[in-house]
Amino acid sequence: MRKLILTKILQSLFTLWVILTMLFFLFRLGLPDPTVALVSDGLSPEDRALVIARFGLDRSLPEQYVIYLGNVITGEFGRSFHYNAPVDTIIGERVLNTLILMLPAIFLSYTIGPLLGVLLAWKRGSKLEAGGISLGLILRSAPMFWTGMLAVMFFGINLGWFPTSGMRTFPYQAANFLEKILTLDFLRHLILPTIVITLYYIGLPMLIMRNTMLEVMGEDFIEFAEARGLSRMRVMYRHAARNALLPVVTQAAITAGLAVGGQVVVEVVFSWPGLGLEMFNAVRTSDYPLAQASFLLMATIILVLNLITDLIYSRLDPRVTYRSAN
Amino acid sequence: MKELIRALWRSIQQDRLAMFGLVTITIITLIAIFGPFIATHDPTHMNERTEGIALWFGTVGAPNRGIRLEQAISETTLRSIVSADATQDSGDYLAVGNGGFIVRFRGDERHIEASPVSVQLRGVASRAGRELAVGDEGTILERIGGEWRQMAAPVSGILQAVALDPNGAALVVGDNGAAAYSSAIGAPWVIVNTPLARHLYDVTLPEAQAGFVVGARGTLLRWDGSELNEEQAPGFRNIYAVDSDGMNNILAVGERGTVYRFDGDSWSEMQSPVARSLRGVKVIGDRAAAAATHGDLMLLEDGVWDRVRSGYERHFRSVAGDETQFVAVGTDPYINSLTRPSAEHFFGTTHNGRDIFSQVIYGTRTALLVALVAAIMVTVIGTNVGLFAGYLRGKTDNVLMRIVDIMYALPLEPFAMVLVLLTRPGIQIIILAVGLLTWRTTARIIRSQVLSLANRPFVKAAKVAGASNLRIMYVHIAPNVLPLAFLQLAVAMAFAITAEATLSFLGLGPPRLYSWGTILHQARLSGAWRTAWWWVLPPGIMIMLTVVSVFFISRALEVIANPRLARK
Repeated sequence: MRKLILTKILQSLFTLWVILTMLFFLFRLGLPDPTVALVSDGLSPEDRALVIARFGLDRSLPEQYVIYLGNVITGEFGRSFHYNAPVDTIIGERVLNTLILMLPAIFLSYTIGPLLGVLLAWKRGSKLEAGGISLGLILRSAPMFWTGMLAVMFFGINLGWFPTSGMRTFPYQAANFLEKILTLDFLRHLILPTIVITLYYIGLPMLIMRNTMLEVMGEDFIEFAEARGLSRMRVMYRHAARNALLPVVTQAAITAGLAVGGQVVVEVVFSWPGLGLEMFNAVRTSDYPLAQASFLLMATIILVLNLITDLIYSRLDPRVTYRSAN
Repeated sequence: MKELIRALWRSIQQDRLAMFGLVTITIITLIAIFGPFIATHDPTHMNERTEGIALWFGTVGAPNRGIRLEQAISETTLRSIVSADATQDSGDYLAVGNGGFIVRFRGDERHIEASPVSVQLRGVASRAGRELAVGDEGTILERIGGEWRQMAAPVSGILQAVALDPNGAALVVGDNGAAAYSSAIGAPWVIVNTPLARHLYDVTLPEAQAGFVVGARGTLLRWDGSELNEEQAPGFRNIYAVDSDGMNNILAVGERGTVYRFDGDSWSEMQSPVARSLRGVKVIGDRAAAAATHGDLMLLEDGVWDRVRSGYERHFRSVAGDETQFVAVGTDPYINSLTRPSAEHFFGTTHNGRDIFSQVIYGTRTALLVALVAAIMVTVIGTNVGLFAGYLRGKTDNVLMRIVDIMYALPLEPFAMVLVLLTRPGIQIIILAVGLLTWRTTARIIRSQVLSLANRPFVKAAKVAGASNLRIMYVHIAPNVLPLAFLQLAVAMAFAITAEATLSFLGLGPPRLYSWGTILHQARLSGAWRTAWWWVLPPGIMIMLTVVSVFFISRALEVIANPRLARK
């Protein structure tokens, strides 16, 4: 088990390194003048010299690469052109803002979704099942930014039930992140985007769960459980569902990756001050250091989430552990 | 291949949702192909509307000179306005405009009168119990017994203006020196010869059988009851309007702010504070008002013209008034922005007055084209990677699957943003981002299928027979993964449509090319999306319909690609 975890961590680190390298070459070679990627026109000569020295922009490419790796490890991403401040201090809290919006939504999708999937398999052949499948597909086909726009328009503007932008109503005071989110005002801001994200992602685990359930339900141990006189409910949710979870968990890992990207549009629509919105603004203002760091952090979030789902997977499926042990 | 299509058709026929999907996709494809014929407007054209307006001004003793705009009197340009004849108690003002439009002002009420013509009406007169309107195609209308009737016209060209003298004799003038005379109500119109063939723009008859006609390039003609004689004008500019309050108080106005005055003996030029084309003038005792294009107005008080800033950029064409106030009428071509769905614009308009229906229709092409190209790219890369990894295994498999893992760690939208940051927004960026990143799923799925196929006897047999690896992969294995590849093509297409919309929504798409995502991007940029539902709903519904149709069809494909599903 420990060895498996170690292997997974090493694999993730390797992936991260590849992405780092890719970004380095994209930004150094993709731009006509690589210094523009790090040095803003508006910087004072002292700051300019500082950045050039710190990133070795006057040295050869391999040397720059080594310096770049060292900088990333120590969290040195340069100065944002737009904010004229170190990038790491800007995006530090943005990461938390992004996670606090994304994780509850994914959690909801991957708890409610599979439960509904079991229900669909249970009611096989009924109108409920047919309707559920169609609804699942329809929810998946409506792009999140659009449902977000509709939600803002209808529930935010028309009915006035929920605030439509940001995390808190201004002006507010909060000494730290926890103080910021442990309020009713924050919850009110969280509801609309969470519902929008959840509705989009809920369809897939529901449909996957239904399909796997149908396979599992044909197996002997289910018949055995039924023969023991267990209630249908108990058989479905305790015996069958447990064994049908694996493909859902696999999908959860993939969804984590999609969600980090999809997060961008939700943050843009709801003006949520997360990494995605920051990256969006950085691209509009050609703020290269900020965009680069945001991208890297998003990739890191995906890798960490994938690592976690991998570990959950190995807990759920003992075969994975055996295989790695052998 | 033929068999595959036949199987697919059978499968679709058995599935009502798949049938719905197929029909919808067919319709959407047809829309994409025949887009330019279906679209009702040019999607980039800023649609304008014209509306007749009146601007009240020059009110004696009122703050800000009593400027007050009265909108939407008509849906066409108002071209001329006169004080209605007081003896008939027929209201305050009478105005005419394009489309044969005739309106009577009575206090705050506006009565639109039935008109027998639909041509442009350019001039109107109301005096001595007689009311006349003239316009294009030699149209002369006279109000007889409370009803407008078309009179037999002696000319066929454009008639610009008409005036009545205190006894009810009328003179009408028009283009190319056209002029005609009618002595009394219902009396026939007789052609009056003019010494010049220039365009005549306006006429005034302050006294019986006496008045002036003005026209192009400083044309000034004096009317003596039977003929028109040329007078010496103080300049050579076009004179567009003339008005009088008695024979020794006449003002004529024209292009570049020109003002000429007649004091009973001779014409002289007056200083004017306006440089635009003056189109209308009204004289009342010592006071006078003139109106120009682009919203310029001026008032004559104590012998000096004073510019009045209306604050409205409208083209004025005529002025009327009484002792207390003046009114200018004109046209107001304005951008038809953010209108709700109507017969003219099925899905309404954007903040720039662009037709949303046409944008959605054109957007269909972009969406389908991008999605198709990207999906084919994804399927080709993914299937080949899957074939190599699954068949060759070992190191190749390891390396390829590591790459797939890396691909899974790259978020699509931010990746596309990086590409745009380093280059510029465009259709190729979207195709590239989707194509480069999303083959990962296809590769994984094809690989696992190939892994199981590679152990089948027919593959082993081919190997024994000495077939090369490439031959086995492409000749023996590939046909067997084809149904699955097609399924992945459908899934990739659904994903690509959403991805294209999402990336365009973020402004990463080509700015001059409409796609469903671009429309929503512009709605967001304009800020109008929070209320303009007609701008947000249609493109989103199209995305949803297209994607869900592909999903429905792919369900039917799934049954073929994965026969296990069919049995259940």
